[in-house]
Amino acid sequence: MDPSEREKYQAAIHGDREAFEMIIRTHSRTLFAISYGILQNREEAEDVVQDSLVKAWKTRWRVRDPEKFPAWLGTIARHKAHDVFRKRRTVPLSEQVTEPIEPEPANASGLDQKLHSALAALPELHRAALTLRYFEEMDYRTIENSLGLTNGALRGILGRALTSMRKQLRPALAEMD
Amino acid sequence: MATMHDEIDSWLAGDLHGELSNNERNALHAHLVDCGACRKTHQETKAMNKILEETFAQQKPDPAFEQRILAGFRNRVPQRRGLVKLLVDLMRLRATQITAVAAVLLGLVQVGRMITGEPATAPRERERYVGEQFAAQPSQFPASRAAQSGALAKSDEVAAGRPQDLALKEPPPPAPAQSKDQRQGSAELERTIVTGSNIPTAAEEAAQAPAQEPAPALANRKLIRNATVELEIVSFDNAVQKITAFANEEHGYVATTDSEKQANGKLRGEVVVKVLPENLDRFLQKIRNLGELKNQTLSTEDVTKAYFDTDARLKNAHVMEQRLIDMLKTKTGKVSDLLQVEKELGRVREEIEKMQGELKYWDSQVQFATVTMSLAEKDMEEPAAFLIRERAQLALYAPDVEKIYNEIKSLASPKVQITNAQLNRDYSGRVSAQVNMLIAPEESDAVIGRVKAFGRVENFQTQTQRTAQGGNPAAAGSENARTKRDKVELNIAISREEQEQAFQQTSLRIRTSSVDEKAKELRALAEKQGGRIRSSTFSRDPDGRAVANVSLRVPIKNYAALMQSLYSLGKVENVSVQRQDRTDAQIDEANAPADVSIQVYSQGNIVSPETGLLATLRRTLAQSAGAIMWSLRMIGVAIAFLAPWAIAIIGVIWIARRVIRAKR
Repeated sequence: MDPSEREKYQAAIHGDREAFEMIIRTHSRTLFAISYGILQNREEAEDVVQDSLVKAWKTRWRVRDPEKFPAWLGTIARHKAHDVFRKRRTVPLSEQVTEPIEPEPANASGLDQKLHSALAALPELHRAALTLRYFEEMDYRTIENSLGLTNGALRGILGRALTSMRKQLRPALAEMD
Repeated sequence: MATMHDEIDSWLAGDLHGELSNNERNALHAHLVDCGACRKTHQETKAMNKILEETFAQQKPDPAFEQRILAGFRNRVPQRRGLVKLLVDLMRLRATQITAVAAVLLGLVQVGRMITGEPATAPRERERYVGEQFAAQPSQFPASRAAQSGALAKSDEVAAGRPQDLALKEPPPPAPAQSKDQRQGSAELERTIVTGSNIPTAAEEAAQAPAQEPAPALANRKLIRNATVELEIVSFDNAVQKITAFANEEHGYVATTDSEKQANGKLRGEVVVKVLPENLDRFLQKIRNLGELKNQTLSTEDVTKAYFDTDARLKNAHVMEQRLIDMLKTKTGKVSDLLQVEKELGRVREEIEKMQGELKYWDSQVQFATVTMSLAEKDMEEPAAFLIRERAQLALYAPDVEKIYNEIKSLASPKVQITNAQLNRDYSGRVSAQVNMLIAPEESDAVIGRVKAFGRVENFQTQTQRTAQGGNPAAAGSENARTKRDKVELNIAISREEQEQAFQQTSLRIRTSSVDEKAKELRALAEKQGGRIRSSTFSRDPDGRAVANVSLRVPIKNYAALMQSLYSLGKVENVSVQRQDRTDAQIDEANAPADVSIQVYSQGNIVSPETGLLATLRRTLAQSAGAIMWSLRMIGVAIAFLAPWAIAIIGVIWIARRVIRAKR
């Protein structure tokens, strides 16, 4: 890690508000990608990002190693998003009917629908990895950093995610060709 | 390349995302040329990648996203301002944290000390005392300085070469007009106590001597010096002579002497010597060489203030007296007034006399130091003589007590005095006698020998006591003391043979089927061996068991034969023999009595009533009930022991969880 970056994280951990706001600027899109990957809903994902940052500020003293700060932020976002996801499932059926999960009915073409259901079938981590890659076009190292993965694990994860997506979408892909 | 084929998706993903190195990309492309399946997959993946890119591009957050998030964050976590921020920043400092932890630890230690009652405040008190000293000094200093330097100039006794600043540093003499409580404070007692173990050597004493000598600044002070010395000496008269000589050398005199002769011829006494105060220390050192120093006390009483107070009052009284006399001389006014004046004059004169007496007394006390010496001659504690007192005690067993009693009484002579003789016969017809006598020491052995020959001797004891006469009994080790033998006291107890304790006691059981018959046979056997039956009982219980207890006494020479014959009666069990060996040569062992107690018994019905199903069941139930009660009690104890701990731990956990929740 870049020493200046490390210093920034250290300052944020010690309560430097400016440093923390700088981190918000650089990392909120990553966090958004992670939570969007889980929730597939922009408003909810944005709320999750807000909540995660507030929580991170309040519990920043728990981080010992500044290098792990991004990964820790990612973990908070993932947990928050997961909480929201679980709550959504327990909402009574009647409410679900009035408030459909699908947020973009305008784009609801057949392929889109299938893509979403294929994404939803993926494990959480795979979804987060995919969204990070395609939202932010991040390189593998940065993604690994944000998700707290060890060196080289991401390629396998992305590979597996793509395989399962491909298998589910094969008929639609065939149509496209 | 099998691995590449298996993990083709990872490779393709890496390729599409531009994360492959050149070599890897070349290898992948080579494989794609070879493998049709992978080529197909490659096509599909590429299509999907495109779809994903397009889809996600639509979902990307808008450019204002960061601003929105930041604004939301600022809204929800308002920035701390002013004092709170300062405090929080302070708390963040490592130094502050360490200080806080140290403060908490210190607090805990203080609390612990308070609880255990250690004197935690002692050092602080000492500091305060020092502070007071410093505060008190300057206020006294300027007032006394002028007087002091004046005194220095006046005094003829100022030793040359003594540094002046040292004199000025001395505690200043108190001003005459000071309140009463301060006056008491100044009349302090400086006291040095020297006891046996830590008496300073002569060299140390010499080093201290200049410090003890009165400093020139103290020359006009009124100090009363007293010393008490306790000495152990060889000869009292010699010591008194030497002390007188020393006193003369030091321009002093012996005030009083008194002595007392102890029972062992040693002398003890007290000598009071008056010497000039400045010679006191030298005098004390000389005295030390007289003998062994036991104790020495040196005290100094400062009466300066009281003295000058009285002096001032005396002057005032003189002025008053003069004025009263003048009033009488002019003789104006009424007779009653004159009488009043006369009366007042009398009172004033009385006061003057009292004060003059006081001053004189002080003068005499100050002029001479008093040394009180307690002298004791060595070996004071040694006794003058020892008295050896012998006391003998013996018990006699004889067939005819009265005859022996009379024979012993006939031994009486001037050298053998019978102090007490009594013959008792109790209601059961037993006779016993008691004789006490005092025998001259030279006759004692012969008389005791004759008494012993009268019967069987039992329990002969002699006791010798050495008593010191005069002096301390603890110091009885001395060899010079005379010893004297006193009359021997002899106590004799005479009893009949039956009352004698058996020399040997045997108990045994004989099992037989016919108890009655065998008990009779036993009696016959005993009589044959010269034994006497002392007691016998017989009993039979409902189960048909019969028991006969027989106890008999035989002379010890027939004991073995009796035991042998007992085996013919039945099965002999549980034989236990107890023998009391006495080392006294006077015992006639062959005729000494041996006791045998025999239990003859039959077994009868040996089945216990406590058997059978019901009894066993009852016992088992009772035992298990007992076991359950016991374990219940143990559980109760365990709960009582653990409950407070559990409550405390739960309480701490609850508080901790509340705190954590509050933080969130």
